[in-house]
Amino acid sequence: MNILYFELLKLRKKSRGWLGPILVFILIMTAFPLTVEFLNEDLEQAFFSILWIAVLLVMMLATEDIFLEDYNDGSLEQLVIHTESLSFVIGVKILIYWALIGIPVSLIGSIYCLGITSSFEMALLIFPVLLISSYIFLNLFCFGNSLTLTKGSVLGTLITMPLLLPLLVVLGKVVIAINLGLNYFDFLILLLGVLSIIIVIIPLIISFVIRAHLE
Amino acid sequence: MTMTYLIKAENLSYKINEKKLFQNISFEVNSNSAIHITGSNGSGKTTLLRIILGISKPTRGTVETNLTSGMCYLGHKNALKQYLTVEDNLILQSIQHNKALDTLLKDIDLYDKLDVVVSNLSFGQQKKIALLKVFLNESELLVLDEPCVGLDGKAQNFLTSFLQEELAKNKSIIFSSHINLNLDAKSINLDN
Repeated sequence: MNILYFELLKLRKKSRGWLGPILVFILIMTAFPLTVEFLNEDLEQAFFSILWIAVLLVMMLATEDIFLEDYNDGSLEQLVIHTESLSFVIGVKILIYWALIGIPVSLIGSIYCLGITSSFEMALLIFPVLLISSYIFLNLFCFGNSLTLTKGSVLGTLITMPLLLPLLVVLGKVVIAINLGLNYFDFLILLLGVLSIIIVIIPLIISFVIRAHLE
Repeated sequence: MTMTYLIKAENLSYKINEKKLFQNISFEVNSNSAIHITGSNGSGKTTLLRIILGISKPTRGTVETNLTSGMCYLGHKNALKQYLTVEDNLILQSIQHNKALDTLLKDIDLYDKLDVVVSNLSFGQQKKIALLKVFLNESELLVLDEPCVGLDGKAQNFLTSFLQEELAKNKSIIFSSHINLNLDAKSINLDN
């Protein structure tokens, strides 16, 4: 459990690492209705597209230097030498980022959903989808950033994009499912299934990638 | 058959893009022994240490380890978080704040720097903070890559005395250094 405390200590002192992405999310969600002359109905239709893309962007921002700092200062080297399960440490690191960024963003997203759609039920149904999708986004961006650890995050993002597009399609379908009152829980189970695979596989792959970078 | 060595390296060779860094390096590290890796810049000292640590893989050869209480490594990078205070960095390195730490901090002139952010310290002071982990370690093998870089004369003497004491405690040391640390160490020159 030391790793949990250590990561929280680092993030507590580096507030831009988690507060910055949350503020960017609030900025996007607040600015979007101000910059368009939509009727309320049109605004509601465009809202979910903006919401998913904002979550995606924020998770991309949040993971920009998730491993780079540790790589540059030699902490990753020490981790590789002294930690028996590097993938577990990486998994915990991603989990903490999600707890500090993903959960608040999901909560704020649901509040904006309530504000735009005026539907408490919609906000309630969107919240778990936001929670799961933000965790999936975070994992995938971490994977991309680990691949291009020393080459900059732009390349990592480009590599990750093809993996994110199917998820965005599913998220669009979830909104339709909620609106039509159809198989919402099937989609939720699908997303949970994807997440359960990703949270096991991605930290494992990242640990191999990091070892290769250090070599 | 009982293994007496802590580290056994056999025929280690390493090449980068067909350029050979070193070839057929063999040695054993036993309890209460020190190995000093020497060589000019770019001769592969750090690479050899990283192979011993298991971070890098040799082009040829093998490294066998027989450690029970692990190893303590300090490389070129100090693993310090620049935006945290010295005290926070010590917490990150699992160093408990106790009497032994206070004594050490006084010995290396850093006792009043605990609440200072690391980025406000000089390179030498940062190196001393990184060395605290080495001074307080309980591993049976120390692997140090240029431990004297940035240290003043007093700190170098302190480090040398510490390493001599560690050897006396039956511990083992592998280090690379351009500075002679006055240790009874077997030398491996990578230029040859």
